[in-house]
Parts: sequence; structure tokens; C-alpha cells
Amino acid sequence: MKKFLIYIAKISVVTVLIAFLLDGLYTYIFMHSNNRGKIEKVFNSKAQKYDVVFLGSSRANNHFVAQMFEDKGLKAFNYGMSGGHLFEASLMLKLMIERKYEIKNVILEADLNLSNEHQAEGISARFLPYIHNSEVIKDHFSNEADFNELYYIPFYRYIKYDGKIGFREAFFISMNRRTNAQDNLGYYQLEKHKNGNMKNNIVNLNPLKHNKYYEEIKNICKAKKINFISVMTPICENTKGMNYFDKVKKAYPEIHNYENVVIEDKYFSSCGHMNDAGAKMFTARIIKDFFKK
Amino acid sequence: MFFNSIAFAIFLPIVFFLYWFVFNKNKSTQNALLIIASYYFYSCWDWRFLFLLVFSTFLDYYTGIQIEKGKSEKSRKFWFWLSILVNLGFLGVFKYYNFFASSFSELLNSAGVKASPFLLNVILPVGISFYTFHGLSYVIDIYFKRIKAEYNFVDYSLFVSYFPLLVAGPIERATHLLPEIKVKREFDLENAKQGIYQIIWGLVKKVIIADTCAPYANAVFDNYTSMNSFSLILGAIYFAFQIYGDFSGYSDIALGVSKLFGLDLLRNFNYPYFSRDIAEFWRRWHISLSSWFRDYLYIPLGGSKGGLWMKIRNTFIIFVVSGFWHGANWTYLAWGFINAVYFLPLLLSNSNRNNMDTIQLKFNFDSVKVFLSILYTFALTCIAWVFFRAKTITDAVLYLKRIITSKDFSFQYLDNERYSYELLLMIGIFVLIEWNNRSKVEPLSGKWSTLKVALAILAIMAFGTFSDYKEFIYFQF
Repeated sequence: MKKFLIYIAKISVVTVLIAFLLDGLYTYIFMHSNNRGKIEKVFNSKAQKYDVVFLGSSRANNHFVAQMFEDKGLKAFNYGMSGGHLFEASLMLKLMIERKYEIKNVILEADLNLSNEHQAEGISARFLPYIHNSEVIKDHFSNEADFNELYYIPFYRYIKYDGKIGFREAFFISMNRRTNAQDNLGYYQLEKHKNGNMKNNIVNLNPLKHNKYYEEIKNICKAKKINFISVMTPICENTKGMNYFDKVKKAYPEIHNYENVVIEDKYFSSCGHMNDAGAKMFTARIIKDFFKK
Repeated sequence: MFFNSIAFAIFLPIVFFLYWFVFNKNKSTQNALLIIASYYFYSCWDWRFLFLLVFSTFLDYYTGIQIEKGKSEKSRKFWFWLSILVNLGFLGVFKYYNFFASSFSELLNSAGVKASPFLLNVILPVGISFYTFHGLSYVIDIYFKRIKAEYNFVDYSLFVSYFPLLVAGPIERATHLLPEIKVKREFDLENAKQGIYQIIWGLVKKVIIADTCAPYANAVFDNYTSMNSFSLILGAIYFAFQIYGDFSGYSDIALGVSKLFGLDLLRNFNYPYFSRDIAEFWRRWHISLSSWFRDYLYIPLGGSKGGLWMKIRNTFIIFVVSGFWHGANWTYLAWGFINAVYFLPLLLSNSNRNNMDTIQLKFNFDSVKVFLSILYTFALTCIAWVFFRAKTITDAVLYLKRIITSKDFSFQYLDNERYSYELLLMIGIFVLIEWNNRSKVEPLSGKWSTLKVALAILAIMAFGTFSDYKEFIYFQF
């Protein structure tokens, strides 16, 4: 039995060593990635200067046409992340500040995402390779229930989120295989779908009164003297519970309501996401209202 | 509590420690601990079904004794049939009632008679097909006087409820496991190390092969109408490896865990995809179920003694029943039937026991033939798996039809945002490793075992699929 326990102890030591080795290897690979996603791009970049930065979920990613700002002579990039919540938007801004970005304007899509303060694991996982190399990432996750496991157990984060930051992703980074996440200055255009779902039901959705991450973004902008513009973006007409946007306006009077500036179905790819034509109409309106020189 | 979960990684060392250091005085204390651990393990799924398990155990224990004690044949028959009917009754209610009720109602509706079936709102108790078959084999063996009844309730309960085999087998025999339970187990270093190898290799099969193949197979099967020939073929191959990795991986872990407690379970898989014909496949796939049906259904029905037609009839019966054992769906019946059809030419030509020897490949023509026969058998198996995996028989037929009609062999991007061909290299490496070690129980033992174990652990951590967490497929049976 003694021999067996020694054998098990050896296997355990080998397992821990492998975990350390893989953790180091994967982290090294992710530290050298810059053409796969927006998070990697920011983390592995040096100080940048932007006139306008867009943050939010897919309703930012698919709605703000950054090139239209560039055409006006404004340096812009759409850092909206499809599937993301305000948890990730806030962290993204913190990361930019940590990287000493100089930003004049932040435009935040703040509407449906005000209804929760959870992390969107599929997106937040992409910050985790850098948790030991960035104080803001570490601090941002420190209140999460599984922070200790993610931070202290070697390789645990890569195992838990293997679909996002596991072997496949590390392999593609090593092969220098790029994604389209950074094309079009971060804006991801959608096409008109023949069978796009043009119905939505947000009756049960309620904006949180003091969304922690919304307030964080607002406070960072104030502290760093960044002009903060928050907007509600369009949604299709056939949405049940449209008074959600009124509730947002009531709870956050500073958020500009653009929910109804584009309404026709032909400008939507699905109910919550405009197609390229709709996004261009919407962006033109934003430029007109906030950047008219 | 899955074998590949953190909870099990904590549970197993605790039970191991208590078993060898606290409850190691005699076999009774060892068995008592294993029973408590097994009931705890089972109650982690759903504690309410623990009562069903205990009742089923008590029923077979009691009827077994009554059959043995029975002075008249009538009394023995009474207790025998009581046990059989109650056991099959449970299985029928929980697993098959809704299927038969809705199928009958559909039949009436199609004949123009309006009927709405009375369906039961029940969920299938995990492992019911496995522990019911344990009990059935025990009672049948006593009735036919092959074994003596077990009078020690704890020992008998452990035979039925032993946690490594409780929820997904292998289906044990009283003649094999009970004698092991009846004696105090002594720790054997080599056996325990062998157990560790099997656990690790089982995890390789589960988290690297099965769980990685699953999202690809799902993406193909769920969208088969938009898939081309190449993707559909790959989908069937991925499912073949998913179910093999999943089920044989579970069996490997079960056997390995059991070895840590000094108990050897029946081997359930023996590299089935290296079979040269379907008969050999069935001697290598889910061996404990195949042999169960052979001993308790095929042979009692007359086996192969009663002439050609009886042989054919009995063959179809065991394959169809075996398919139906997997679940209450016409697709499982079709899967069983197709396997019977595959088996038929071998039976008629009396060549179903041709490939009993170990496979040897050399640089000669015979080896090419062997290699081609393995590929052919695997292809037949994959076709049958399409029926097993598809939601309906119509879906399965359309899936296979589309392989032929699509005639497009280009790479396709799946709805899981991955290319259909991505896993081929991984499966190729896995097949090579298993091929090179086909004479052993698992590939990790033998020369360089420490290095192989370390590489396997590394592979599990680096290549395993954990986030898309999957339960073992056979738990639903």
C-alpha cells in the first residue's frame, strides 16, 4: 500500500507539473496573439489614441460603423463584443486605460444589457489568459465566485473554458490564423436574412437601477475626462415590452434613446440586430447628433 | 456524480482511504462501506429512486431464497415468475409504457380511430436497465440451479448496487462477482496500478474522444438536410467514436475503479472497431450485454440447436430485443434489426465464428484482405449507428440517402463554428494507439508506463473537452 500511495503521489506531482507547464505555454501563446480578437488586440497593444471608442454587446458590434467616423476624420474603433455584457465592456475600458490609451469619446450601447450584472462567460473567458499579467483583469474577476480556482489553480481556466481559450484557440494563434473580429475597424456588418426572426419579447426584462458595471464605465470616463455618451440602439417594431426603453430612460436619464430611429424590418437582420443599411442610418444619426462640427 | 467530475475525484479517494485503512478488518466491514458509498453515489443522481433500487434488491434477494427453499416446483415457479414480472414491470412502466401507449394511439389514429394516450409523467431512473438485469440473471441462475441463493443481504446488495457498475454496467453475473464479494480483499499493488491505467485511459476516451466528437456529430446530425456527402460520412464516423469513447471509456473507468477495491469486473469492450465481421464486432462490443442475451434469451429460446429457421428467428429476436433494451424508440429497434440482417449471411454460411483468433497484419495479400474487412465492418457499423443516433427512422433513411445523392465532398463549416474535417487527425492517432496495443486491456501498461501515463494526463488536460460538459450516453439506458 505504501508503494501505491507513493505512486499516486508521483502521479499527482506529475499532474501539477504538467498543469504549470501547460499554463505557462498557453499563457505565452496568448500573450503573443493580436489578430484573433479584440481583447487580445487591446492586451497586446501599446498606448493608442482614439477620438471615439464603441463599447457594448452585439448591439454595438453590429450597429456602429466605425469607418463612417474615420471618414469624418475621427479615429475610431468598434470594441463591441457579440455575446458580451456590461461586465466585459467595463473590463475592456479598464484594460485600455491600463494600456494608457488616450480616448476622447466613449460611446456605450446601454439598453438590454442593463438588465444584468453577470459576466458573459463565453466572452469574459477571453480575458482569463492574462489574469496573472494584468491587475485590472485580476481585480475585475476578484468578486466572482470561482476567482480562487481561476487564479490559483494552474491551467484551471484553460480547462474550464476550453471551448474559448483551449487547445484549438492556442493552436490557431500559434498558426497565426486570423479572424475577422478586427476587420472594418471592429464593426461586424450583418446582412438582411430572409428568415430572420423579426419578433422579440422583452416583457420580463427590467433594467437594474444602479448597474454596477454601467456606473463603473461612467466613473472611469469621468475620472479620465473622457466624454461619455450612452445610447439605446434600435430594435425591431415587433417587440413585446417596448416600454423597457422608457424604464431605462427613467432609471438613467443620461442615456440617449435611439431605439426608434430605425424601425422598418428591411433594416434589420434579426429583431435585435440591424443589417448594414440600418447600421449606417443609425451611425449617421449618431454622428449628426454628437459629432457635427 | 459523473466519473469525470470534481465530485467523483473527491469521493473516490475518501472511499478508498476508508476502505483500506478504516473498514479493512474483514469482508463484512468492507462490503458495508461499499454499500453505503454506492447508495450515496446513486442518491447523488436522484435520492428518490434509491427506494426503487433498494426495493428491487430486496425483491430479488427474497425471491432468490424462496426459489431455493421451495419444496414444490409450483412454489419455485411462483417466486421465479413473481421476480421476473415485477422486475420487467418496473422496466416496462418507467422505460416503455409511454412509448407503447403513444405508438398504440398513433396506430389507432392512423386507422381513423381517435385516441389520445394516457401518458405517465415519469422520468427514467438512472441505471434501471443495468441493475434490473443484474437481478434477473441472479434469479434465473437460482431457478435453473446454476448457483445457490445468497443469504447475506449486504453481500447481495453490493452485487446489485456496487457503485462502479451501478449506472452503466458492465452487467455482472452472480457467478462472477458474488464469489469475489464473499471474501476479504487484500490490497494488490499491480492490480491497483492496472486500475489507475484503466481509469486514465477511460478518461482519455471520454474527454478527448467522446466529448470532442459529440459537438461535431451533433452539428451534422441536427442539420443533416444541409450537409454534403463528406460531412454526413464524417458525422457518422464521429458518432461511432463518440459512442465508443463514451461507453467503453465509462467501462474502463468502472473496471479501473473496481480494481482499486480489489474487485475484478467483467470486461465490456475489446477494441470492437478492429473486428473483421459483424459477429466478431458483437463479441467485442458491450460484451456483458451480448453475453447476457446469449445466455438468458438466445439459449433458452433454443439457440442454434433447432434447425435453420429457429436459428434465424432467435438471432433476430436477440438483436431486436437488444436494440429495444437501449431505449423506447423505433430507431433502436431498427438498429437491432439492421445488425441482425448484417449477421444473417454469417449465420447462413456458418462463418459467424470464423474470426476468433487475434488479428495479425503482415506485408502480404491476406493482410490487405483483413484490413479491408475491418474497414468494411466499420462502415456497416457506422450505417447502423445512423439509425441509433437519428431522432426518427425517416431521419436516418434521409441521412443515408443524402450521402449518396449529395455527391459533394467539399469541406463544410458547421453550425458549431468548426470545420467538419477537424477531428480526423485526432481520431487517426487514437486508432493507431489502440491498434498498437490491441493485445492489452489498455495502452498505458507495460514498458515506459510512467511516461505513457504522464503523456495521457497531458493529453487529457490539453486536448480534452470540459466546458461542453456531457453526461455518459449510456446513463439514459
